[in-house]
Amino acid sequence: MAQKQYLIVGGSAAGMAAAETIACLDPEGKVQVLSEEADAPYFRPLIPFIISRKKNDRQIFLQGQGPYGSGKAEIRLQTRARHIDPDARAVVADTGESFAYDRLLIATGSRPYIPEEIAGTDLEGVFALRTLADARKAEQRAEVTRHAVMLGGGLLNLKAAFALLERGIAVTLVVFSPEVLSQLMEPEDALLIRRALDQAGLRIVTGAAATYITGNGSGVTGVVLDNGEEMACEMVCIGKGVRPNTRWIAESGIDIQTGVVADKFTRTTSPDVYTAGDAAVTFDPITGEPMVTGLWTNAVEMGRCAGANMAGRPTAYGGTFGILNATQVARMPFVAMGVVHTSGTDCEVHRRQTTNAYRKLVFSPEGDRLIGAVLVGDIGNAGLYRALIRDRMPLDGIKGQVIDHTLHYGHLLLATRTMTPISA
Amino acid sequence: MKQPKEIFVRLDRCMGCHSCEMACAVAHSQSKRLYGALAETTLPKPRLYVEAVTADNKAVPILCRHCEDAPCMHACIAGAISRSDAGVVATDKDKCIGCWTCVMVCPYGVIGRHMQELKAYRCDRCPDLETPACVSACPSKALLYQSADDYSRGVRQTAAGELLTGEGG
Repeated sequence: MAQKQYLIVGGSAAGMAAAETIACLDPEGKVQVLSEEADAPYFRPLIPFIISRKKNDRQIFLQGQGPYGSGKAEIRLQTRARHIDPDARAVVADTGESFAYDRLLIATGSRPYIPEEIAGTDLEGVFALRTLADARKAEQRAEVTRHAVMLGGGLLNLKAAFALLERGIAVTLVVFSPEVLSQLMEPEDALLIRRALDQAGLRIVTGAAATYITGNGSGVTGVVLDNGEEMACEMVCIGKGVRPNTRWIAESGIDIQTGVVADKFTRTTSPDVYTAGDAAVTFDPITGEPMVTGLWTNAVEMGRCAGANMAGRPTAYGGTFGILNATQVARMPFVAMGVVHTSGTDCEVHRRQTTNAYRKLVFSPEGDRLIGAVLVGDIGNAGLYRALIRDRMPLDGIKGQVIDHTLHYGHLLLATRTMTPISA
Repeated sequence: MKQPKEIFVRLDRCMGCHSCEMACAVAHSQSKRLYGALAETTLPKPRLYVEAVTADNKAVPILCRHCEDAPCMHACIAGAISRSDAGVVATDKDKCIGCWTCVMVCPYGVIGRHMQELKAYRCDRCPDLETPACVSACPSKALLYQSADDYSRGVRQTAAGELLTGEGG
């Protein structure tokens, strides 16, 4: 059989996970990865550690770390794909080069969303942290920063805020929602986290948005909010979510609905062209709803699946939760997954608050299945809840343990010996 | 290639004595001795767990399966989890950033969290010992350290023996 030519556009989570999978399943194949970045692939979620100076470049590079050991892919840096020519089965890059493929993966990820209504976002010192290059610039800008303003209360901005706090910089977080982390939980779920953030010295302004950013020759000088408040600052970080990078294939005829549309086997509507990661449309396994996510872990999972399909091992992609986050900020660990926004729904919700821990377990309206969970403080066994939600496990005899957060694998092991799963 | 050994659990034999947990904690202490371990400032933690299922009056030892398709390894956002040639999935403490993504995706709930160091830890199959400490400590041989082939051969032989006995053979 002739050697297969695999081409992957995008050198981050989905692209590199696919490359590694292909290298395992088709060792004879030739794998090329195009990346527009100047840096070799790296663990993108670690870029806040560049700002805090807790890690250097070398410590966050991906190849040779974790499951990324094969080193078989040829990686072309600073090579931005311009368009696909499906008839010639080739991708043309802005360098003028043409890259032929037998199988192509669109894994071009996403870019930060910058609200157009905020004036002054092009000033020096304004960041939408996405790349290692961005992080290096922020790390430098922090040298001349006494006060930084973060616009948006999501995880990226919280992590960046703590990186700056660790550098001794005063930080104000401006959130339009009533509370931080509004994408991942409801305001009352975030109380413990909010308390920890306050105690850690982060100043938080809720219910406000930036109107414009002021500056002079040396960059940012301040932010003006829609509540009239004016703040002097030398750095602004915009963390308002991400949008899929699909513009480069707009003319290709491939179906795009916000992200690149994929079938159950991660195929796009063009023959031998696959997609995965932030650029792709995934779906919720419970509701079947299509969505795009911006999560490393999701991108790796879909990328591995696409890689297997490309290498000739048909592998159905099972979808993922839109919310699937674990992290620790201000020494407060938390996990949010599945359905967590329950106001105005008839979901069965069980909440439990102690001094140092909070949990919310969300069941279907019938109360027979777990569909979401928020765990703050004590996140032990969170993976069991993920399995319960994803596999639509019946809760006969274990619902009490779920609500009490005393569930362990022994319960599932003994329960599954006597039960048959609800068919999907 | 020689098939690596794994730790197998024979559920019917576990009496819930927790000897394995004790032995595991001691094996992962500084001093490697029970009395020394008890005196250490950060108390050593077991990396396997004997849990009770009261409804069935059953004790269940739960430990890292070092999954062939390890969700923790692929989910890790720091590249801290990798698999050794012996098949052991290990967390590199220096690379771990304590984000707990591995805890969120482990379907067995066997990844521990060290809250002082903010590092994840799990069964390492005792790389310096001939037989993992938990297996050596189990008084009822509920834990076995064998290759998968040897283990399944044992299961077949036991089953064959029971069949013969049942037939009066």
